[in-house]
Amino acid sequence: MRNLIALSLIQVTFLAACGGGGYTSGGGPPPSQNIATPGPPNVETITVDMGPSGVSAVNTAYVSIQICVPNNPAMCQTIDHIEVDTGSTGLRILAGALNLTNVPLPQETNGTPTVFMTECLRFADGSSYGSLRFADITLPVSMKTASSVVVQVIGDPLYPTVPSTCPGPAENTVTAFGANGILGVGPFAQDCGSACVATAQPSTYYSCPSTSTCGASTATLAQQVANPVTLFSSDNNGVIVELRPVGSAGAATVTGSLVFGIGTQSNNALGSATVLQEDTFSGLITATYKGTAYSHGFIDSGSNGNFFTDSSIKTCTTPPSPNPWYCPSAEVSETATLQGTNATMVTANFSVANADGLFNTGYAAFSNLGGTNPDPTGMGFDLGLPFFYGRNVYTAIENATAGSYVGPYFAY
Amino acid sequence: MKLTGALLSSIVLTAAVATPAFAALGGDSATVQADVARMKGALRITSSAGVTVHEITTSYGTVVREYLTPGDKVFAVSWHGPVNLDLRQMLGDYYTQYEQAASMPHPGGHRHLVIEQPGLVVQISGRMRAFVGRAWVPGLVPQNFSVNDIN
Repeated sequence: MRNLIALSLIQVTFLAACGGGGYTSGGGPPPSQNIATPGPPNVETITVDMGPSGVSAVNTAYVSIQICVPNNPAMCQTIDHIEVDTGSTGLRILAGALNLTNVPLPQETNGTPTVFMTECLRFADGSSYGSLRFADITLPVSMKTASSVVVQVIGDPLYPTVPSTCPGPAENTVTAFGANGILGVGPFAQDCGSACVATAQPSTYYSCPSTSTCGASTATLAQQVANPVTLFSSDNNGVIVELRPVGSAGAATVTGSLVFGIGTQSNNALGSATVLQEDTFSGLITATYKGTAYSHGFIDSGSNGNFFTDSSIKTCTTPPSPNPWYCPSAEVSETATLQGTNATMVTANFSVANADGLFNTGYAAFSNLGGTNPDPTGMGFDLGLPFFYGRNVYTAIENATAGSYVGPYFAY
Repeated sequence: MKLTGALLSSIVLTAAVATPAFAALGGDSATVQADVARMKGALRITSSAGVTVHEITTSYGTVVREYLTPGDKVFAVSWHGPVNLDLRQMLGDYYTQYEQAASMPHPGGHRHLVIEQPGLVVQISGRMRAFVGRAWVPGLVPQNFSVNDIN
């Protein structure tokens, strides 16, 4: 009884500090990680390695995927090194990795039979442009399938003229992109959403009366590139990225599992994971680090480092200039507190080592790679793939019930 | 000129005509009007210490700010919102310099970009549904104006 009272008092203290939510401590020894076994009905194999030939990827997680002409199982291609990205939405394949002659995927129209659609995919560092085509897709290990999925074919040779409103630098080749494709399994159901239904957004969707005259266009939700997970017949409310731990010295390769669904099978329960509800508009949470609250926080397998602001950690002086990677003389351990819009809080422990030293190993996976965050508001806090090693990180999709919560949320 | 940040004027306009034109950074207030028209946004103008800020807000949640010198030249731009902007339009004559610099190998992957050159600074960060960025021309920034106020 005395112990119970003591526990209650501790909980009250934390509740007050967090504005009414629960609190989970990430301190102490890491809990044992349980990684789901790849295979049907819902677990895909993830590999972190150097990427496809010609790419020297760092902290990039890949799966393979089979692409087929809809309703034509004889016209298929399995493509490896598709990046797993919990920070974007939709399946996109580089034309350089796809044989469109053998797998002639039909194009999406804007409703008029001869007017096809293209898309400009925007990143912070450039754009990828290409056609929108339909494909039947299969994740080859879990055998998860979805039919007539709208897929962007980046660098489609049928559309060599990039519209002037799709600004560069162009990332339309495998080497420029860093992968053979990208599987966007983030918190949103479509890549653009309602903004593109109402208004032709700048540099997003295009309609093409001819292959060289594509103009900005609206796109219905059904026409947009969707999160493929939402198109599965089951296990369709989110994903768990489960990567094995990586020690301070880094690792040449890392394996793990991409689990589809949350709370839908015996292998994907929320368990004791802490749920951080995201802002439904932006997908952001708040991270408090060394006394400062950073409102542009997110957890993202598509970020190859942990990007945050700490002037006490020196940055690397090797080229390029400025070099945003951190280069402390010895590894440092850091702690942030993450808070969802539901006021729930959880500790995020991570470490930062000398990036020059890490890159000298020639390895592909580093749990302690960090860099500055250039978010101009000063509010950025990005926990990237380094944060995923040794943790099972849940990403639940907007408006979907996952466990006993409704997405979008992060949990770990 | 006082530097205390009092708003000297504030008016709200809404775009009525669509006059396609390019340029923001390095341009003048006429190009700002063109940007308002292109973006179908609402314009709010504030000025402080000689620097005029044209803030364009679109119906889908993107906010763009264009900072003008007392001589009516755009010396900085900033933006945030669910989509990344048409940088060819925002950066105007500085776009080519940006594209060349951003094409060089850079840390940060697809999520973060920093360009720091004598004639141009660009910082962009974010992912789908939440982009933030700003750019300025150091040689055009008025004396006594802190670039920290570009936000």
